[in-house]
Amino acid sequence: MESQGQGEVCSPETLAYMELAIEQAKHALDCLEVPVGCVMVESGNVIASGRNRTTETRNATRHAEMEAIDVLLEQWQKNGLSVSEVAEIFSKCTLYVTCEPCIMCAAALSILGIKEVYYGCANDKFGGCGSILSLHSSSNQPHNSGEVAQGKGFKCTGGIMASEAVSLLRCFYEQGNPNAPKPHRSVTLQATHN
Amino acid sequence: MVNEKTELWQIIHIPDKPPISPAEQPTVNAFASVIEPKLANTFIRRLNQIAPLENLRHVKRIQKRNDEKGKNQLSVILCLASETENDKQSNNLPENVQELINSYQLSPFITKVCKYAATSREEWEEQCKLWPTSYHPPTYNINGITGFGEEDSQSVFDFMKVAVDLAKSGGGLMVNAAVIVDPSVQQIIATGHDQIYSWHNKTGTENSHLKKPASFASNLNSNGASHLTVFPNNLHNGPERLYVGVSCLSPWQWCGQQLDMETSCYLHPLRHAAIVAIESSAERDRRLFPGLLHTEKSFEVESMQSSCAGSPAKRQKTNLANVEDGKELDAHSEATSVRPYLCTGYDIYLVWEPCTMCAMALVHQRIRRIFYAFPNPNAGALGSVHRLQGEKSLNHHYAVFRVVLPQ
Repeated sequence: MESQGQGEVCSPETLAYMELAIEQAKHALDCLEVPVGCVMVESGNVIASGRNRTTETRNATRHAEMEAIDVLLEQWQKNGLSVSEVAEIFSKCTLYVTCEPCIMCAAALSILGIKEVYYGCANDKFGGCGSILSLHSSSNQPHNSGEVAQGKGFKCTGGIMASEAVSLLRCFYEQGNPNAPKPHRSVTLQATHN
Repeated sequence: MVNEKTELWQIIHIPDKPPISPAEQPTVNAFASVIEPKLANTFIRRLNQIAPLENLRHVKRIQKRNDEKGKNQLSVILCLASETENDKQSNNLPENVQELINSYQLSPFITKVCKYAATSREEWEEQCKLWPTSYHPPTYNINGITGFGEEDSQSVFDFMKVAVDLAKSGGGLMVNAAVIVDPSVQQIIATGHDQIYSWHNKTGTENSHLKKPASFASNLNSNGASHLTVFPNNLHNGPERLYVGVSCLSPWQWCGQQLDMETSCYLHPLRHAAIVAIESSAERDRRLFPGLLHTEKSFEVESMQSSCAGSPAKRQKTNLANVEDGKELDAHSEATSVRPYLCTGYDIYLVWEPCTMCAMALVHQRIRRIFYAFPNPNAGALGSVHRLQGEKSLNHHYAVFRVVLPQ
């Protein structure tokens, strides 16, 4: 609900980053995975990318976002970054993902304290950034205040290259997902109008 | 001794919707009257014709109560009443209902009945205090929603003990712990505990948890319930400080809690117990059922679909004897059993109610039932802050239970 539609004119950079996310999604499709991809951008640089890997891992939580996050943490672990440095970089990160983050991923992005998310098509069944829950909106806070840290919100903009994202998903479900009893991410045909 | 303790354990179903207290349940008024028990059938037949309870199919027509003398007393709902009518002015009754009243010399009174069907057994029990209703458990028939038998309860308690022990295994600081179980063969599939400051590389964890299930299971009885008193029954009775290590309770706290850690060497803010356990069960899946072709998979998906709708008991129960010894099934027998689709049919035991991330991860991984011991008022997603088991749009729904530990 907080997320804006694509009526807003998005910058050439935004489109360029989303293009890279779409590339990742295509890569997933080639590997018979649900075609969702993402890139993580900090200070103008792509610092990680990820794509869905649920079939290969038999772990249905291995969404594109989780893959990219693990790449980053592994790298920062090697470089010996401190906990506060990790927190600081996450707070400057922008995620470009072809499909609205699901409830799990949106919660994860809030836990990490990410700055901003741009997504392609909406996720009518699982979306955690406005479709089912609105975990990106910081008003979504537990009642218990005090010292316990509250949920962190992040800016969220949907509808970036949504039709490309949808056509990849449609492509996947037309060929049939041999692994899931039911579709994993919803194919939102109206996503371009959200 | 252990049995004495376990009598204090309790399993509570956490329904899809927040339970409504009897005072808050919407009600409607109806005219009712005491009738002669032998006329009950006559009344029911006649009233169903002239004044059917169209939108109140959950409301029973007849109420049976004991009167002061201990004799059965039957009352019947004649028809609905408007909200403004009172006992004495029953002028607006339909003509044919009025005729019935006259011919049997009934004295109608106003009663309240619940407007909506109960969504849980607890709600239903409350409703019946006003006027009896019928209760149909959710259409997905998950074992336990309508109650647990003694044997099943004991098994639930035993697995919860494994989770509690795992939560305390880290030494001073309590963490959340998860145990994934295949209930059809009473076997632990995978375990995990919070690792947000102890994330070793993917290869590092591989061996350690393979041995755990067997040793944990064999220790079940000796562990007993004696040292469970570390946990206060109510989370807020205890010092909050004890629980700062529980990731799901304060998921956003990872950057504030440094725990003497200068570097992010082992940092992974998302390595909550449930996520770790899911990863471990996926590893097990790959290890036991390597390299299946897609054609085989799709066949299997079909068979899983047909069986998951019914009872998971259809799953092969070959090596029960082995399991009772607390041993993991040997590789040969497991390879011949049906490969599960993700965690279809499996249960998970968590010490604390999972946060939103973990609760949704368990939807994705198709867990069938979740048992947790302590609610998570700050971030819990199974009834505390969110209630994912009641999100209709999701493609999978698990049943949720709270296991109340003895004090």
